[in-house]
Amino acid sequence: MGERILEIRHLGKAFGSHEVLRDIDFTVEKGDVTSIIGASGSGKSTLLRCINLLETPTSGEILYHGKNVADRGVNAAAYRSHVGMVFQSFNLFNNMTVLKNCMVGQIKVLKKSQEEARAAALKYLDRVGMGPYINARPRQLSGGQKQRVAIARALAMNPEVLLFDEPTSALDPEMVGEVLAVMQILAQEGMTMLVVTHEMAFARDVSSHVVYMNQGIICEEGTAGELFGNPQRQETRDFLSRFRSV
Amino acid sequence: MDWSKFPQLAADIAALWAKYGFVNYFCGMGRTLVLAIIATVIGCVIGLACGILQTVPHARTDHPAKRFFLGLIRVILRVYIEVFRGTPMILQAVFIYYGLPYFTNNTVRFDNIWTVSILVVSINTGAYMAESVRGGILSVDPGQTEGAKAIGMTHFQTMISVILPQALRNIMPQIGNNFIINIKDTSVMFIIGFTDFFAAHKAVAGATFTYFPSATIEMAGYLTMTLIASFILRLVEKLMDGSDSYELVQSDALTMTAGTYKNPAKGSNFDEHSKEYRDNLEQSLEDRNFNARGDR
Repeated sequence: MGERILEIRHLGKAFGSHEVLRDIDFTVEKGDVTSIIGASGSGKSTLLRCINLLETPTSGEILYHGKNVADRGVNAAAYRSHVGMVFQSFNLFNNMTVLKNCMVGQIKVLKKSQEEARAAALKYLDRVGMGPYINARPRQLSGGQKQRVAIARALAMNPEVLLFDEPTSALDPEMVGEVLAVMQILAQEGMTMLVVTHEMAFARDVSSHVVYMNQGIICEEGTAGELFGNPQRQETRDFLSRFRSV
Repeated sequence: MDWSKFPQLAADIAALWAKYGFVNYFCGMGRTLVLAIIATVIGCVIGLACGILQTVPHARTDHPAKRFFLGLIRVILRVYIEVFRGTPMILQAVFIYYGLPYFTNNTVRFDNIWTVSILVVSINTGAYMAESVRGGILSVDPGQTEGAKAIGMTHFQTMISVILPQALRNIMPQIGNNFIINIKDTSVMFIIGFTDFFAAHKAVAGATFTYFPSATIEMAGYLTMTLIASFILRLVEKLMDGSDSYELVQSDALTMTAGTYKNPAKGSNFDEHSKEYRDNLEQSLEDRNFNARGDR
């Protein structure tokens, strides 16, 4: 077993009286690529947002290297700088160029010098194939390009875990491939990733571990082979049958 | 209508301008503009500060002391905004100029008319700007804040680097509004003896009894100042937007990222939809699955 980076213990989240997440338990180890799949409204995104503390969990613990970050008084900003996040809607800073997008976090949060930040940003932008676009503004890019910049921005912070919240759901079909390709490379390089996705082929082929969520609970989890090849629960089978073509 | 009045008016204005043009009118315009510019800038700073403080996120899980402190700031800001937005600036000037010495037995008083004028117009502008800035901040997509939070930036860092630059662009028309209002409304500062462009009119008209010709000069003068201001503000907005044209990169190595990244030696990009690419991808996926971690 690898080093445990994140342990989610009995996590719950309610918006008012509406319980979105109930008793969520799972572990992320170094090098894991975990896909979270499930129908819309099953709480996948909320779970991811809770892990990054963009939502405050109503109960349970999120242990990051054994320390509960869901506690009151924990420095959320410092924790978030170790846990990268890629959003469905990219969320690039519109007032900055591609290069500045990837530098600002390093300079402000990691307190790197301009030159260091620039070098790291260029390295990661090259890696996602956005090297020629460093002076472009987000509005001048296509969706797939924006998402790749967003991945580079997250990588530039040198995170331990990278969370992907439906990274390809807002993209035109022709652009999905380029983003998945980048994610696949990251997975092969051993990046620890937690991916909420509707791309079943990606979940099956790239992830080491798959979690199927249904109505706010983890219905079934296992390796990609187990969950896709031999689902144990009826709900999982029903859900996957909708993607029979995969 | 008596058209013959126009040459008469022109002659009167020429006479007034020859005698009082530079010392009264022109210097008055200068003082009006200087006061309006300084007060608008300071007002914007006050407004930005209020905007940041008003939008500090607060959660029920925060420490009680922090919540109390934030609540207190909110109340104070609310009172400031409502009072200074809800009373005439002419009265605010009187209140501050005469009120402070009155209550402090002359220990606090304003020896320089510029200090008190700038103070009054600034805090008045600040009250308006606070609401404009709040609106500007709310108008920025919440995703921008989340993006900044997700890379570990604090509220203050997020505001300075990401939100305010965008909010500022959104509220430029409002800032322009306030600047133009300030050019005109600083005229009420005559009540405490500030000799601006309007005070020049009072002085000249009082000395020569030529009310209408002098008022015509005033009208033309104010309109000239505000028109130039509008023009400059538009220019600033254009500059903030940056160039529309953007040089596109001709050699696009982008949609084939995976291929190009893994094969830099090949030198040529190959199509993601080509058979060669798909075969490569499938092969690498199979390899990976074979090596995938087993039971846990």
